[in-house]
Amino acid sequence: MNIDQYILSGIIESYVLGLASPEERAEFEAMCSAYPEIRKARDDFERSLENYFISSASSIKPAPGIKEKIFSQINAESSATQKQDSPAKVYPLQPVKTGWWRTLAVAAVLLLLFSTIMNYYFFTQYRKFSNKYEELASSQIQMASANQVLQTKLQDYESAMNMMKDPAMAIIKMNSVPTSPSPNSLATVYWDTRNKDVYLLANNLPATVTEKQYQLWAIVDGKPVDAGVVDIKEGLSFVKMKNIPRAQAFAITLEKKGGSSVPEGAMYVLGKVTG
Amino acid sequence: MAIQNFNNEGEFVVLLKERNNKAFTYLYDNYSGALLSIIRQIISDNELSNDVLQEVFVNIWRRIETYDAAKGRLFTWMLNIARNASIDTLRSKNYQNSQKNQELADDVNSNNASLQFTQINVDNIGLKKILEKLKPEHRALIELAYFKGYTHEEIAQIENVPLGTVKTRIRNALLQLRAYLQ
Repeated sequence: MNIDQYILSGIIESYVLGLASPEERAEFEAMCSAYPEIRKARDDFERSLENYFISSASSIKPAPGIKEKIFSQINAESSATQKQDSPAKVYPLQPVKTGWWRTLAVAAVLLLLFSTIMNYYFFTQYRKFSNKYEELASSQIQMASANQVLQTKLQDYESAMNMMKDPAMAIIKMNSVPTSPSPNSLATVYWDTRNKDVYLLANNLPATVTEKQYQLWAIVDGKPVDAGVVDIKEGLSFVKMKNIPRAQAFAITLEKKGGSSVPEGAMYVLGKVTG
Repeated sequence: MAIQNFNNEGEFVVLLKERNNKAFTYLYDNYSGALLSIIRQIISDNELSNDVLQEVFVNIWRRIETYDAAKGRLFTWMLNIARNASIDTLRSKNYQNSQKNQELADDVNSNNASLQFTQINVDNIGLKKILEKLKPEHRALIELAYFKGYTHEEIAQIENVPLGTVKTRIRNALLQLRAYLQ
């Protein structure tokens, strides 16, 4: 059906006179907003209907007193509304026509409120996780440094282990001497038979005080030869001493810091080189 | 009908929506006759039709906010309020008792009685005057649909004709009516 046929179908008249069904009304209103010519045809019919009614009713007058009745009722309702409302202007409480923009504004306000709440929520979450991240990062750094300490220790133990199982290494066990200030003292010299390097392992020696150091002596043809000084620290550690080409025995005395040229302090341990 | 004291209908409607007393007085002075004429074409009783006019006018004042100019002219809106209020009154028990069912029964039950508009003393005004020019079968349908407020389905039952025929005849009747109005 084209527009002209639609205009002439009688829908305009049944819409205007209130005879159209709800479906027809909805369709016609949609057609009116889509086609100005339909709306104009409707307007033309409405005008002719209005003109006809006004002119044909020119002799018709309401009963006297009706106008007064109507306006006294209206004014009573109006002042009742005014008392409820602000005294300046009457805004009818109902029915209020809500435009689409009003719905949109309400929706926008609700959306803004929701967004603000979500923003606050996400911001606090962000702060929480940011703090957590920093905690984790610092603990990670702590763990890394602890790991490095362990790595160093492990390397020490590994090199000690390698030395101990090396078959070319001569092992001279030094036991406590009867005059030792610490009767259970024990130390071991690892002496490389190939290059004559000397390593000392302090199995059990009392910890030194700050101004004292243990000094290792190589006994060569009955005379003590300085083989270096050492501090006793926690844990198992090999300390590389001086190179000793020839010796019959090794001994440790407690000397002043830096060592002495000849032994002056008490002897702790002594061990003979065998073979 | 021109709203000469106001620049245009849109401005007039704005004043009505503000419950402007002057605008409502103007509305009454210029439209109460036309609105009463449509009421009297549905309700023949003079006193009762004036009561309905009062109700209609107060309703216009109360409901002016709901008037949407995009859907039609102000007069059309008022005309429909007047017609609906009249039909509601026509169907109320009080009215039917007071009329002793005479007129309504005659119109609905007898095929010929529905053509007898002469018993309504205002048959020379408003749409009824135009209806005289329509073919009898068209006139009966408009009478039932417009002045009695029956749905197309109810009319099909009353007149014992198919629904499609009712719809076609009413559309044709309305088109003739329009031709007479122009």
